[in-house]
Amino acid sequence: MRHTLIALVEDRPGALNRVLGLLRGRGLGLHSIAVGDSETPGVKRTTVLVDTESVEQTIKQLNRLIEVLEVTDVTNAEYVVRETALVKIHAPEPRRDEIKTVADVFGARIVGSSPQTVVVEMTDTPDRLGEMIARVMAIGACETMRSGSLAMALGGPTPRVNAVSEDATRVWWSQADGIS
Amino acid sequence: MTDERTGAQVMCEALVREEVEVMFGIPGGAIMPFYHAMWEYRDRLRHVLCRHEQGAGHAAEGYARSTGKPGVCVATSGPGATNLVTPIANAWMDSTPLVAITGQVSSAVLGKDAFQETDITGITLPITKHNYRVSRAEDLPSVFREAFHIARTGRPGPVLIDVTKDAQQARLVPDWNVTLNVPGFSAPVGLDPRAIREAARILAGASKPLILAGQGVIISDAVAELRTLAERTGIPVVTTLHGIGAFPEDHPLSIGMPGMHGWVHVNRAIQECDVLLSIGARFDDRVTGKASTFAPRASVIHIDIDPSEIGKNVKVAVAIIGDARAALRALIELIPPRDAAIWLRNIRETQATHQHRQPYMRRPDTTELMPHDVYAALNAALNKRGGYRVITDVGQHQMWAAQLIEWRRPRTHITSGGAGTMGFAVPAAMGAAIAHPDETIWAIVGDGGFQMTNQELATIGQEGIKNVKVAIVNNGYLGMVRQWQQLFEGRRYSGTPLTGPSFAGLAEAYGLRGFTVDRIEDAEESIRAAWDHDGSVVLDFRVQREANVFPLVPPGLSIGEMITREAPA
Repeated sequence: MRHTLIALVEDRPGALNRVLGLLRGRGLGLHSIAVGDSETPGVKRTTVLVDTESVEQTIKQLNRLIEVLEVTDVTNAEYVVRETALVKIHAPEPRRDEIKTVADVFGARIVGSSPQTVVVEMTDTPDRLGEMIARVMAIGACETMRSGSLAMALGGPTPRVNAVSEDATRVWWSQADGIS
Repeated sequence: MTDERTGAQVMCEALVREEVEVMFGIPGGAIMPFYHAMWEYRDRLRHVLCRHEQGAGHAAEGYARSTGKPGVCVATSGPGATNLVTPIANAWMDSTPLVAITGQVSSAVLGKDAFQETDITGITLPITKHNYRVSRAEDLPSVFREAFHIARTGRPGPVLIDVTKDAQQARLVPDWNVTLNVPGFSAPVGLDPRAIREAARILAGASKPLILAGQGVIISDAVAELRTLAERTGIPVVTTLHGIGAFPEDHPLSIGMPGMHGWVHVNRAIQECDVLLSIGARFDDRVTGKASTFAPRASVIHIDIDPSEIGKNVKVAVAIIGDARAALRALIELIPPRDAAIWLRNIRETQATHQHRQPYMRRPDTTELMPHDVYAALNAALNKRGGYRVITDVGQHQMWAAQLIEWRRPRTHITSGGAGTMGFAVPAAMGAAIAHPDETIWAIVGDGGFQMTNQELATIGQEGIKNVKVAIVNNGYLGMVRQWQQLFEGRRYSGTPLTGPSFAGLAEAYGLRGFTVDRIEDAEESIRAAWDHDGSVVLDFRVQREANVFPLVPPGLSIGEMITREAPA
């Protein structure tokens, strides 16, 4: 099953390499990863979309990495997700109105153009991006690029790293005796 | 000016501060500044020059596993570093505290495919707890502090420090006022009292409880606590391959080893038990067999310091995350005295049918030396004399050692378990022998594994190490593979027959004593003579070539499905 994980990772050489290497080594499918600065200097906040049969195991394994400070699975939480796409469309002058109309429908913007092409930028949910891309492919898109999903949980700050393993423990033991 | 040091001197100083006494290694271009500085520290830091970096790594592991302290190995860049990969992987799988120090080419040429350049931090990424590449000498004090802390804290493991040559050469005034700053490395804080209470409740209500003790008991120094818990509750104790020594096998509650080559009565007890208390064991597939059929009736209580082990292979009813000793102490406080006499009697009845510690196979009607004769003689000598440690390699001889010797004390049985690294025993025995000069260190090894790392006999000779006694169980085959070929592949002995030189002659050539033993009546006497000889010895036991290890759970099957002898011809 696909899970959306948010991880805080120290900004040190090789740290991201460790995260990716772990997913590969444990045979997990990486769908997308987006990395950028967090509010804390020296710490990157990353959104990882990963296919895993046991998200508890995946989180615990990620937590074993020294540079991973915190991992949260927001898949079943209330969260917002956004992704940016850039789409280059083959656009001789007669087609440009059509492209502009489609862009307006999806809330996308034309952010650059050359005599033969325009580049459309759109930020929305991954599903909406998919719909937009399908539409412009029919018009003559020739190149698409997507940023990978950014996810953010609603509500208060995400729990700290130690809480992850403790929560996982509770899951196991409440399964044992039927109490929570 | 007097406070100024080179980076290499800082590395030596850091090792002294971490109370390192000995390191095993081989110099080379990129690590030469470190060796240059080491000379000034030679009265405090012993360096053992090995013949191959793999030997240096395993020697450091033998030191670490026999003492509980981090072992240290050193290599140069490129091939020196890559030769350490196997011992690092071995330490990773067996949770051994190991610090590997490698030289790296100078920063100025890093990334330009310089001579002997290898991205060793990249290579060891998935087999280290953590690794560092240091190109600024000012970082050395904190990196060494962190590395040793990480290697020995929580679940121990290997850490690699790769230091560029220019960082070793740089001059600096080191700042030793280092505060550990590893926010992402959190050893578990307190135990969850609810989990302890729940575990105590489940154990108190069990009718067929079983304890599965792993290496975590030994690492946490929880042997006394395990014994107290077992005696207070009467619960029978199973010890995994790495758990051997966590509970004395001559104790009435010890029932033996589980798994692929475990005893029939032990595996049956696991399949029948209603509560399985696992302490510091990770449910390796060699223990569980087909995991989905493992301990089907049991509520599993899993004590482990590494949260990622919980629920990895086996479904767990109660997880206690934390140090085994602390967890056992907390459990002992809560659990009322009880016994499990009827259950234990049932297990003992099964055991009587299946002859614990006896060869499963009928001895062929020949005068050939059988492996079992060797182990019977070793077992008698070890338990009569004491003051020993045994390092085993990987294969048939390893399983016979686990089965046929009565183990009594922690850290006396050391083997390559998780990675299954042939060639481990001889160098690891050397490391253990240096750590414990007053004890007799036996390396039990097959003729295949012996030929992978026996160059370290030269190191043993050069260092004047007198307390390594190597027992080669020599059957002229890569025996465990041959056994599988016999049992599962129609006796197609592809790539398994094996010759070698005269191992006794080889030992003599290295300046040690060597003896060939091929008669039953000589087994005991040769072990006595080797033990009493004031120097290291190699005994080459020429055993019956096609003896097999039984019982055996065929790969992929449930541990309830054991083969106890060859199929009738």
